[in-house]
Amino acid sequence: MQITLDVTAGKAVLSLDGRFDFHSHRDFRTAYEGALADPAVREIVINFQKVDYLDSSALGMLLLLREKSESAGKAVSLSGLQGMVKQVLEIANFGKLFAVHG
Amino acid sequence: MVDPLTQTDLRQSSSLLNPGESVSTFSLKILIADDTPINVKQLEVVAARLGHRTVVAYDGAAALAAFQAEAPDLVFMDIMMPGMDGISAVRKIRELPAEKWTPIIFYSALDRMQDIVSGLEAGGDDYLAKPASTQLLKAKINSYARQIALQSKLQDYAEELARWREDSEEQTRLGAHVMARLTDAAGLRDPMLRSFNLPAETFSGDLLCAARAPGDVLNLLLADAAGHGLAAALSAMPLTQAFYSMTAKGFPLASIAEELNRKLKAILPADRFVAATLASVDVRNRTVEVWNGGNPDALFLNVHGEVAMRWPSRHPPLGILPESVFSGVSETVVFQEPGDLILSSDGLTEAENQAGAWLGINGVIDLLGGSRETDARFKGLLDGVDQHLQGEPARDDISCLMVAVPIERRREFRFSAPKLINQSQFAEWRLDLSYSAQELRYIDVVPAVLGLATQLQALKEHQGALFLVLSELFNNALDHGLLGLDSITKSWIGGFEIYMQQRAERLARLTEGRIDLSFLLHQDEARAVLDISLNDSGPGFDFNSRLGDQAALSESNDQVFGRGIGLVRSLCDQVIYSGTGNKVWCRYVVSDLVQDQVGASADLTGL
Repeated sequence: MQITLDVTAGKAVLSLDGRFDFHSHRDFRTAYEGALADPAVREIVINFQKVDYLDSSALGMLLLLREKSESAGKAVSLSGLQGMVKQVLEIANFGKLFAVHG
Repeated sequence: MVDPLTQTDLRQSSSLLNPGESVSTFSLKILIADDTPINVKQLEVVAARLGHRTVVAYDGAAALAAFQAEAPDLVFMDIMMPGMDGISAVRKIRELPAEKWTPIIFYSALDRMQDIVSGLEAGGDDYLAKPASTQLLKAKINSYARQIALQSKLQDYAEELARWREDSEEQTRLGAHVMARLTDAAGLRDPMLRSFNLPAETFSGDLLCAARAPGDVLNLLLADAAGHGLAAALSAMPLTQAFYSMTAKGFPLASIAEELNRKLKAILPADRFVAATLASVDVRNRTVEVWNGGNPDALFLNVHGEVAMRWPSRHPPLGILPESVFSGVSETVVFQEPGDLILSSDGLTEAENQAGAWLGINGVIDLLGGSRETDARFKGLLDGVDQHLQGEPARDDISCLMVAVPIERRREFRFSAPKLINQSQFAEWRLDLSYSAQELRYIDVVPAVLGLATQLQALKEHQGALFLVLSELFNNALDHGLLGLDSITKSWIGGFEIYMQQRAERLARLTEGRIDLSFLLHQDEARAVLDISLNDSGPGFDFNSRLGDQAALSESNDQVFGRGIGLVRSLCDQVIYSGTGNKVWCRYVVSDLVQDQVGASADLTGL
């Protein structure tokens, strides 16, 4: 999975591309840790527009990010949900845990 | 005798050595096979300079023996030696079973192409023509030392990996054993139930549980921990005990869900969770209740194969939300026709065929709808999954629970005849309890009270009947007495759901009221009896007109509201309402009391 990080006006957008699964562990963590450590970042947005697969360990990684950003006082939201990704996140009711835009 | 040329060479070379490379940190054992002492000496000196040890053989046979006895790391082999020559020796060495790679360098004055080729073909790795400069020998040895070091590291990794693999297999075996014991509950062999659990690895991380609650309600749990195999199974294991013990005590589904979540939240790390479906099938009341957090839709299929009801996931999986935010709110539906209730893990809906297409919830429904009868339906689903996978192994654990839900016209309870109690073992027991609105909002009164009562040996085997009696009396007091609900609502189409919703809303807002319960276990003539009385602070009801003429209650009315009291009457010796209808007293016969043996024999001796 490719991850691109784009920080503008206090908002860090992590755009994911490909399969978000167990193998993405290190890359995903490295990507969000930078954003968490940056005091200028107030919100982290995970963009799923180009994700075609999501497994339960990916859900676990999102939960871990949620916990870490809560203690860092930053908001996390999910965007670009589509197809199978949207379906999996809906069944897991992640809308009750994260803010979701479009 | 020392060759002066070699001496010079050595002196030269020693000055060329950098301190770092003079002694390799990786010390080799080098076998030198040569019949000329001067050549042996040259190699010995170079090897010693580089920090390696040497073993010497003066002919081919000795080289073969030394190779076997010493297991060297590197070999220098002359070709022309007395007896067995170098090429034959290497051929024999290469026929030996090898545990590691040992490079052999031919070091010979024969330098024709044919000599070189036959040496390499015999199993040599390299060829050096005599005489070689000390510098070249040093470089060769260093080059092989690097390769051998790398090789040895790889070998260490391979051995470590093999040990890991053995450990992991041992853990898996243990995990499979414990998991099998933990999940092998009698409840899963219930005649109403069919199930399968197909593991993606050696064993499944999905967990299936089933047990009868008091009052014959069938409780089910299908849990799917994130991931699969041992790690997943480990996350789901803590659920079994809580599910079985709370089910046995008659706790409602919402309380079980809350407890399971609390337990997992306390022990699992932030990135682990367990998707779960809890269901409660009550044939007597014709209800199916489901709590679904993160699993595919639970389905109820009628005999025509149509989805009569479905319960999508309404909650995040267990182990994520803190107690304060978690919701155990379930959905209860009344069924009017028989059918099959199906719970599954996402391994079923996400089973992939070779083209990568999921079976999907609609694929599951199609497979189930293909047959009308439960067993055929179950087989149809299993075969269908098999076909969909097209012989490929599943990527995730696939599990399913299927309950054949009947419509029962007769609702009689047959409890086995109680054991007789010896009079000398019998003692009176009294319990008075009082619950205020604050407590009624969050305490599961019936299981709590039943837990106290059934600690008495005499009442233990009456748990089922007492649960039914107590549930009816208590729910009447709470629902009608304190919450002002009207049972007639239940007779409307969709009324049961409205009733349950009103109940939840009114209970959450309840600030006033009280329910008192008292129990007295005592002797009445030759019987042990349990008197139960309940008072509520509500307005009561016109019990004379409502209950006066039981015979007038038609079957259909009885199903909806008269039934509860009818059931209590059938289980108890006497039921008496008093006050404004806010007080009820009933007498339950526990057992006949018998004179015990000691007393009987004393009577005989008295004669």
